[in-house]
Amino acid sequence: MTTEFIAKTASALFLSALLTVPASAELTALIGATVHPVSQAPIENGIVLIENGRIQAVGENLEIPVQARRIELDGLHLYPGFVHPGTQLGLTEISSVAGTVDTSEMGNINAAVRAEVAVNHDSELLPTTIAGGVLSAHIVPGGGLIRGHSAMMRLDGWSWEDMVLAAPVAMHLAFPPGAVEDDENEDLKLIEQTLDQARHWHQANGAAAAGTGSRPPRNDQLEALGPLLTGAVALVIHANRHDVMTAALDWAQGQGFERLVLSANADVQYIAERLAADDIPVILRGIYTLPTRRWEAYDMAFVAPARLHQAGVRFAISDSGGGMEVANARNLPFQAGSAIAHGLPAEAALKSVTLWPAQILGLGEELGSIEVGKRASLFAATGDPLEPMSRIERVWIDGAEYDLGRDRGRRLYERYRDRNAAVQETNH
Amino acid sequence: MIRHSFFVGAMMATGLAFADASWVPDIEAWNSPQPARPDSVIFRNATIWTGTDEGVIENADLVIRQGRISALGTDLNVPRGALEIDASGMHLTPGIIDAHSHAAIIGGVNEASRISTADVRIRDVIDSESINIYRQLAGGVTTINLLHGSANAIGGQMSVIKMRWGASPAELVFDAAPEGIKFALGENPKQSNWRAEQPRYPQTRHGVEQVIREKFQQAEDYRRAFDDMPRGRAARDRVPPRPNHELQAIAEILAGGRDIHSHAYRADEMLALMRVAEQFGFVIKTFQHVLEGYKIAPQMAAHGAGGSTFIDWWAFKYEAIDGIGYNPALMHQAGVLTGLHSDNPELARRMNLEAAKAVRYGQVDPHDALKMITAWPADQLGIGERTGRLATGMDADVVLWTGHPLSVQSRVEQTWVDGRRYFDRDADQRMRERLAAERAELIALVLADDDNNGNDNNQDSPEPTSPERRRVHSFAAHLTGYRASELDHDEYCIFHDH
Repeated sequence: MTTEFIAKTASALFLSALLTVPASAELTALIGATVHPVSQAPIENGIVLIENGRIQAVGENLEIPVQARRIELDGLHLYPGFVHPGTQLGLTEISSVAGTVDTSEMGNINAAVRAEVAVNHDSELLPTTIAGGVLSAHIVPGGGLIRGHSAMMRLDGWSWEDMVLAAPVAMHLAFPPGAVEDDENEDLKLIEQTLDQARHWHQANGAAAAGTGSRPPRNDQLEALGPLLTGAVALVIHANRHDVMTAALDWAQGQGFERLVLSANADVQYIAERLAADDIPVILRGIYTLPTRRWEAYDMAFVAPARLHQAGVRFAISDSGGGMEVANARNLPFQAGSAIAHGLPAEAALKSVTLWPAQILGLGEELGSIEVGKRASLFAATGDPLEPMSRIERVWIDGAEYDLGRDRGRRLYERYRDRNAAVQETNH
Repeated sequence: MIRHSFFVGAMMATGLAFADASWVPDIEAWNSPQPARPDSVIFRNATIWTGTDEGVIENADLVIRQGRISALGTDLNVPRGALEIDASGMHLTPGIIDAHSHAAIIGGVNEASRISTADVRIRDVIDSESINIYRQLAGGVTTINLLHGSANAIGGQMSVIKMRWGASPAELVFDAAPEGIKFALGENPKQSNWRAEQPRYPQTRHGVEQVIREKFQQAEDYRRAFDDMPRGRAARDRVPPRPNHELQAIAEILAGGRDIHSHAYRADEMLALMRVAEQFGFVIKTFQHVLEGYKIAPQMAAHGAGGSTFIDWWAFKYEAIDGIGYNPALMHQAGVLTGLHSDNPELARRMNLEAAKAVRYGQVDPHDALKMITAWPADQLGIGERTGRLATGMDADVVLWTGHPLSVQSRVEQTWVDGRRYFDRDADQRMRERLAAERAELIALVLADDDNNGNDNNQDSPEPTSPERRRVHSFAAHLTGYRASELDHDEYCIFHDH
C-alpha cells in the first residue's frame, strides 16, 4: 500500500510539476513577419526565437537552429502583448448577476485583501480579451478607501496561482474628494489613523523580532500595510478631479510615500506639469469619456494623452477598469489609437499600452516589448493593432501558442456562420 | 449678462446667420447662431464614400446647392459664387445616422410605470439644449433616433431629429421620418434586475409575449369600433367610441402607419415577437441591440426585420452573454438590413470606429461597414431617400474626415447638415478662445467684486443643497457636462441599459 501510495504521489507531483512548466520548452522560430519590438524600430522580415517561454533572439538574418520549430508568418505583424494597467478582469463575469461579481469588498479598510485570489481563471471574459491582444493585466481590487493589494497577471493559466506574474504589486487608495476643502474629513482621518496604527504595529513587531519588546497581537489589516510602509510596493491613488488629485498627491508626499502612481481620469492633464516635476506616473483611466464640464472642448479627454506626453509625464492608457468595460478590455489598444488622432505620436501611443504600463507597474524586465530575455507573450496581427480594422490572427503566451478558438465570440461566430450558410444553401 | 453683450449683440448686428469665417458656435444652443447655408458649395478632390452602388470615388468633387447634393463626380464645374473647400487628401462620407439614442432627452427617457405607454411621445421632451448634440456633431453624427426607454414592453413614440445645434425642439424634428414606436423584450420589461416597489405583470418572457399579443387584440377591437361607426347622418344617433391614445398608437402599427423598433437581446424573444407580428399581418421594422440576431438571422431576413446592433455591449447582464462582435457581419451575410447604433452619448461620437470593428469581426467590406452607420440605419428609419447617402437630390448631410473614415487616426474636420456647416474644427477653435476669454473676464469681475466687498468670502454662503439632490448629483458626477435638469438624470438609465 505504501509503495503504491508513494508511486501515486510521486507521479502526481511529477504531473503537477509538468503543469507549471511552460508548454513551450521546445525552440520555436517565428519567421517572415514584420517584427515591432516597441523598444526599437520595426524589423521587416524579422525572426523571433523563443525557448522556454522566453525570447531568445530577435533580428533579421538570424541563424535558425535546425531543431527549431518554424512558424511562417508572412505578411503579418508581430507585436508584444498589450499590458492592461488596471482592470477587474477575472473578478467579475456578468455585472448584473451579483453571484458573479467580486469587484468591491465592503467597508473602508480592506488593506488585507488580495485581488489575485478571487480571479476566476476560466472566466469567459479572458479568452475574448486575449483574442484582442491584451495578454497580461494589472488586476485591481475596488472596495473602500484602502482597497488592498493588486497583482500583475497573465490572462491565461490553469489557476490564479499559475497566472500571477507579480503580487503584491501595489496598495490601492481611493482619496476622499471631501478632503479637498475639509481638514476634518472623516474618511481621510480614518486613513491616517490606520496608517499610524500600522506604523506603530510594525515598529512593535520589529522590536519583538529584535527581542526588545513583546509581540503585538496579530492584525491582518495592519500587517498587510507593511510592504507599503517599507516601500516594497507602490501606492496607487485613485482620484477623479484635478483638485482631488492635487490634494491627494500633497497628502501622500506629506505622508512620506515615495513610490506613487496616480490612477486618474482625463482631468489629470490639468496637473501634468506637477506630475512631470515630481516624476509621478499616471494610469489614465480611459479617453473614451465625455468632457467633465460643459465648457470644456469636445475632445478634452481625447487630447489627455498628448498633453501628458508633451509635459513629460510617464503614463499608461487604461480604461475605466470596471463595470461594462471589464468585458471590453480588448478595446484598450483603440483608446491609444484614438489618442494619435488627437496629437499623441504613434510610437508613444503603442508604448502607452505595452512597455510603459509594464515599466510603471514594475515588470519592465518581463513584459511590454519583444526583447531578449523577456516573456514570449506576443501576437501576430494583419496590420497596426491600434486600428480596429486590423485582425489578430495568432497569439503566444509565455511561448505557448494560445487557441483563439476558446474565444466565446469566435466560437459562436463559426458555429452560426456555418449554420446560416447551410440554411441559405437549403433555401436556394 | 456678459454673454448677451458678447454674442447676442454681435448676432443682431450682423443679421441672422454668420458668414463662414466669422461664425462661432456656442456651448449653449440658445446662444449658438445658425450657420449660414451657402447657395452653393463644392468640395474639391476628396475621396468620396457614397454609401451607394457608386462605391468609393477617388479625387472627386461634390456640389451642394441650396441644402441638397446637386452633383457628384470628377472635374465638376464650379457653380458661380460657390464656396470652395479643398478636400485634397481628405475623405467625405454621408452624415452618421444613429438609430438608437437618448442623447437629447436625458431626464425624460423612461415612463417606467405601465407595461404599455404607447401614448407617451418623445417629441414632447426633446431637449435642444443638450450639449450632446454639439459633441456628437463633432463626431460626424447628423441624425439621431430618440427612443423611449425599455422599461415597458410597449414604450413611447419615437422622434427622429437632425442635429441642427441652435434650433428649437420643433425645428430639430426631421419631418421626413415616418412615425415609430419603441418596444422592449427581455430582462428590462420583466423587471429582472431591480426590485420594483410594485411588482407588475409580466415577470417572464412568455408573459411579455402574451401582453403584447393582447394589446394588439385590443387595438384591433378599438380600430374596428371606429371602422364600424356609420358615416354621415346615420352616425348622429350613435355615441362614438371613447378615444384612447394608447390603443390609437398601437392601432396605427396594425394599419402600417407606425414602425416598431424593439429592444431585444435573445433569439427566443425576437422570434416570438416576429410571430405575433405575422399573426396580425405586419412586419417588425427593426430589432434594437439584437445581440443574438446572428442566431436567427435567416428568420429575420425572411420576416423582413432589420437589426440595429452593438459591437461590444455584452456580458453586462445574463441576456447579453452571447453578444458577439461578429453579429453585424453574420446578420449582413444572411441578408438582414444591418446597422450599428450607440445608445450612449459618448459612444455616439466615434461610431466610425464601431464600423471599423465590423470589418475586424467577420471581415465586412469597409464600404458596407460604413453603410452600417449611414445608409442602412437611414433605411431602417425610413429616411433613406433623404439622408444617409451621397447622391444627387439627397440632403446635404456630409462629413469631412482628415483621413480614412474607419481609421482610428482620423478625426472629423467638418460636419454639414442640410447644407449648413454645424461643426468646423476652426470655428470650434475660435469658440474655445472666446470661452477662455470670457472665463478670464468673469474671474476678473469676481475678484474685483471681492475687493470691493472687503474680500469676505464667508458673506455669501452657498445655497443649502437638499440631501436628495446632492445624492443624485454625486451619483451622476461623471455626467457633469450637463445642466442641472439633466443631472436629475433617470437613475433608471444609469442602472439599467435602455
